[in-house]
Amino acid sequence: MELHLKIKSAINAFKKFSLSGKLGLILILLILLMAIFAPWLSPHPHQRSSGSALIPPDSEHILGTDDLGIDLWAQITNGARISLLVGFGTALLAAVGGGIMGIVAAYKGGLIDKILMRLIDIMMVMPDLPVMILLAAFFGPSLFNIILVLAIFSWIRPARIVRSQVLMLKEQSYIKSAESYGAKSWYLIRKHFLPEVSPLLAVSIIRLSSRAIVAEAGLSFLGLGDPTSRSWGLIIHHALNFQGIYYTSFWRWWLLYPWLALTILTVSLAFIGRDLERIVDPRLGN
Amino acid sequence: MKKVRGMRVIEYLLTVLVIVTLNFALPRAMPGDPFLVLSDVEEEAAVLTEEQRQYYFELYGLDRPMHKQYLSYLGDLLRGDLGHSIYYNESVTTIILRRLPWTLFLVISTVILRTIIGSLLGSISAWCRGNFFDQFLFFNLITISEIPAFITGLLILFVFSAMLGLFPLAGAMSHFTTYSNWWDKLLDILHHAFLPIVTLTLARLGGIYLLARNSVVSVIQKDYLLTAQAKGLSKGRILLWHILRNAMLPIVTRTFLSLGSLVGGAILVENVFNYPGLGLLMQEAVNVHDYTLIQGIFLVVALFVLIANLMADLIYKHFDPRIESNEEATA
Repeated sequence: MELHLKIKSAINAFKKFSLSGKLGLILILLILLMAIFAPWLSPHPHQRSSGSALIPPDSEHILGTDDLGIDLWAQITNGARISLLVGFGTALLAAVGGGIMGIVAAYKGGLIDKILMRLIDIMMVMPDLPVMILLAAFFGPSLFNIILVLAIFSWIRPARIVRSQVLMLKEQSYIKSAESYGAKSWYLIRKHFLPEVSPLLAVSIIRLSSRAIVAEAGLSFLGLGDPTSRSWGLIIHHALNFQGIYYTSFWRWWLLYPWLALTILTVSLAFIGRDLERIVDPRLGN
Repeated sequence: MKKVRGMRVIEYLLTVLVIVTLNFALPRAMPGDPFLVLSDVEEEAAVLTEEQRQYYFELYGLDRPMHKQYLSYLGDLLRGDLGHSIYYNESVTTIILRRLPWTLFLVISTVILRTIIGSLLGSISAWCRGNFFDQFLFFNLITISEIPAFITGLLILFVFSAMLGLFPLAGAMSHFTTYSNWWDKLLDILHHAFLPIVTLTLARLGGIYLLARNSVVSVIQKDYLLTAQAKGLSKGRILLWHILRNAMLPIVTRTFLSLGSLVGGAILVENVFNYPGLGLLMQEAVNVHDYTLIQGIFLVVALFVLIANLMADLIYKHFDPRIESNEEATA
């Protein structure tokens, strides 16, 4: 029964999306499946050479190979993992971190709140890409560092959303009466604040992961991706750094397919994001 | 009013301080010894004797107390000294100044083009609101603007340069050519810059378009437009003089506010088209681990973006005093 209702509400939620949003959801689902089943989807390894270098797509290597003879389809299926991992990892970290900061600042108020607000003001005007390049260049491009760097620029939104929500909740009479019965901060946060803010956080996680995925693609496109786990952006970076790639036909698979994968991913994310905003905040509609 | 504006300026100064301090602290917070990194460029760690180490430490002033290092760093910055590039063996300021004009050229051309085209398309769209053309523009422009510029750029490069051969694949000017006159030179420069500018403009059109469309839609319903129509003014004149003029303020503010992300886009797009501006330089510096150069470019770009944001803030407040200091900024 429980499951049945859940499926039904999922279908209802799906129906709220526009045509482009539905397309986006389906494509993201496919990419998700690709990421989960990556090792089984390709007969070739994604880190070792499995043929001669730079062979065009044929029946053996369906998308061809790169300059080291590594199968491209294997790299692309594995790259889906990296993109999604970075996206959700960043969003989760940012939502949890920003959420905690927002709750504490709003609930405690005073100096902590003032410091947080100033920090947010500073982060808002900080040019994100240059700072991310600087941090990634200095701390070394490991997957964890990339997630950390992206999260540094993503926690602001959840923190603000949660802060304003808690500020509003704090004045509600049921919170006041819970306090007067001797409820401790932690109890209030767990029992009252978190359940109220978590739906908002869930929506912002989707938005944040799509931004993080795009940002990671940009960073690794500049060569600042984790070299041991090639994301789509990094494949493109290596292909572009291959001297004179456009004078050969190599770009027709080596560049084109990772580009196609990245395009499909970002376009779907854009479609979903737009619909989500419309569904969550109907005033924006058009 | 004055006080609010002062607060904003202080906030920006604080941000500049944070950025400068970050720049100062990062290399010092890095694990390991700066000279280890220096000698590691050739993939073999040269071993320095204790004496040599001491010599280098004193040479670079790393034996002095931290606050003195910081002050002398600030002093160098104020004099425009960004340090010495290890890889290019040249002063960082000189290298940056050589590359900066190309990036500025891209960014400024894009700003002008997107503002004009975006407002025009937005007005046209609002004018025939709801019909097929409006919906077509709306859907496509908003979708394109959500795709990062470097991805669109790659497609444009594939099609127009690699397949059709209409535009050059790299660079800002042709090598080894002597121009017979300045006109040929200008044409060559435009020929090279065309695709990067088109890419950036396309990617950035959505915001301005939407803004223009919304403001025109709201103005269209005002009474004075009815008056203008009753006077028998032509459609074009009404659009230009009565509608666009009123939509100008948000568009100008938006233009300054979005310079930050535009510069970010330019950094990536330059790498797509191998365009020799600051963005390509940054990638080269990252590839060869030239940390002083990375820091220098970072500082210049960050300051540029901050100044643009501050200007947007001030312009907005100057023209529209209704805006409160804590209004929600839309990213």
